[in-house]
Amino acid sequence: MKVKLTEREVLNPLGEVQDNKLDLNPLPYDFDKVSLVDNTKPGANIILKVLSKSLGNREFLCVKKPAGAPATEEQIKKAASSDVAILALGDCGSCTSWVVLDAIRMEEEGTPTISICSDYFAPFARNLAESHGLKCLRILEIKHPIAGLESDEVEEKALKIVQNLLYLLQIP
Amino acid sequence: MAKKDKKKVSDNSCGCSIDDLMNYEAVSYSNTDHDRLCGARDSDMEFFIDPDPEKISQEFYQRRLTDGLPIIPPTRERVDSFLKYSQHHPDDVIAVLPPKMGQATPEKIAINAVMAGCLPSFQPVLEQSIKAISHEKFNLTGVNATTHPVSISIIINGALTRQLGLNTGVGCLGPGNIANATIGRAIRLCLINIAGAIPGVGDHATHGSPAKYSFCFAENEEENPWESLHVERGYNPDDSTVTVMAAEAPHNVNDHRSQTAEELLDTVIHTATTAGCNNSHVPGELLIIMGPEHAQTINRDGWSKKDVQRYIHQNSHLPVVLGDRGGRKLDEKMIINGNIPITRSPQDVILVVAGGPGRHTMISHGFGSGSESITLKINTKPE
Repeated sequence: MKVKLTEREVLNPLGEVQDNKLDLNPLPYDFDKVSLVDNTKPGANIILKVLSKSLGNREFLCVKKPAGAPATEEQIKKAASSDVAILALGDCGSCTSWVVLDAIRMEEEGTPTISICSDYFAPFARNLAESHGLKCLRILEIKHPIAGLESDEVEEKALKIVQNLLYLLQIP
Repeated sequence: MAKKDKKKVSDNSCGCSIDDLMNYEAVSYSNTDHDRLCGARDSDMEFFIDPDPEKISQEFYQRRLTDGLPIIPPTRERVDSFLKYSQHHPDDVIAVLPPKMGQATPEKIAINAVMAGCLPSFQPVLEQSIKAISHEKFNLTGVNATTHPVSISIIINGALTRQLGLNTGVGCLGPGNIANATIGRAIRLCLINIAGAIPGVGDHATHGSPAKYSFCFAENEEENPWESLHVERGYNPDDSTVTVMAAEAPHNVNDHRSQTAEELLDTVIHTATTAGCNNSHVPGELLIIMGPEHAQTINRDGWSKKDVQRYIHQNSHLPVVLGDRGGRKLDEKMIINGNIPITRSPQDVILVVAGGPGRHTMISHGFGSGSESITLKINTKPE
């Protein structure tokens, strides 16, 4: 008599993910007004200042939002009222999350965005954006770390990403 | 060796009982007279055995599906025994959990609960805990991804505490009790496997925390001189509830000498009022797990629960120069005479009584204003 022993299967503990796709707004060929969205992380204001200087004589709208938590509806509406929004800074887990998710909320309002994240957290930012349906969300990387640095050190790091910003915006 | 699998008997495996063979409904002969044997002819008998826990633990560990500890293999049979206690259909989506936006269904929760070593009767607690952490105000997105060592404290109240045998007394924060240990562990495994909060991938806590393995306990309602947490939050004393709070690992308050409410609470306040916690720059909830002896000392002075919460709120503050060192810039509107309070209101002081004999209290700072605790009722009867 042949006896067969079969090991019971084990079930997969991983959660299913629903396929969800959102549209990324194209960056405008030309633009007058830029929202600078500052989540108050150390150095975020310096980075935004350096980047805004590189954009020349345009109108800038400063919006503050909490790090590690969602922006209010009012903050989102205000930030989305410009032609383009630049968000800073994602240099930790929760602040990166809410830079990305608030950028997506602005994209859903029809405003193109550029999110500044440190290179250490940028892969997570991209995975998160993909999980929320916007794989192509524009994320501009700055060298980690930012917090704990002197102002001139942050400025130096910010200056190094100016060319990448101008390239994204197709500014010669 | 396991018993012969009944499901497979009616699936034409050989080794059928005479009752099965005579039951034409259950055993359909696919062929004609010349082929009267059952469909499965590679063996005369088939036995089903449970997988080796050591082997499955290693496989799951290599696939980053565990918290690092061994697991119980989640077989269909074990998972089904949990689903009998579910309040929902196995495939219902109870919550969608960030960062991966994984769908938490009763079946997926049960699989992770089996792995954690839970008992089947814990399933309703787990389902409501998952629902609670998915609440918008809980901000699971931030809680999962943060570099801060925030864990999820799960506090059970009501009759279910006794039914499930949760520890409310000596050593309630562990180790030693299956419910306290495995409910918290199951939620962590759900976060890893359903939400994608894998350390270094979706969970970026700089150091992590021992409290991330499990931080579950029940309130010691019998020795609580005040109203318990769920009653304070509008539920009936007989209701069973789960409260989830984003909280750091607990820190001890040792006070053997204070004899008045004020003296004792000053010790608690001194321990709680520290720079470097999230509350010091974004004031929010503060969990006080008060030992019954401390609670009796305070109650003896005629202080109500609200008196305690008010006193802690009003006196827990630190100089702005020390407080404003966190990631998020301090909101200047919160500053009072050069100081920053660590809570926003007396209601932010989440006061529960738990633990055994001894003059100790535990405190846990929250995630600041980045997360609010959520309390939900637990139903144990299937809908």
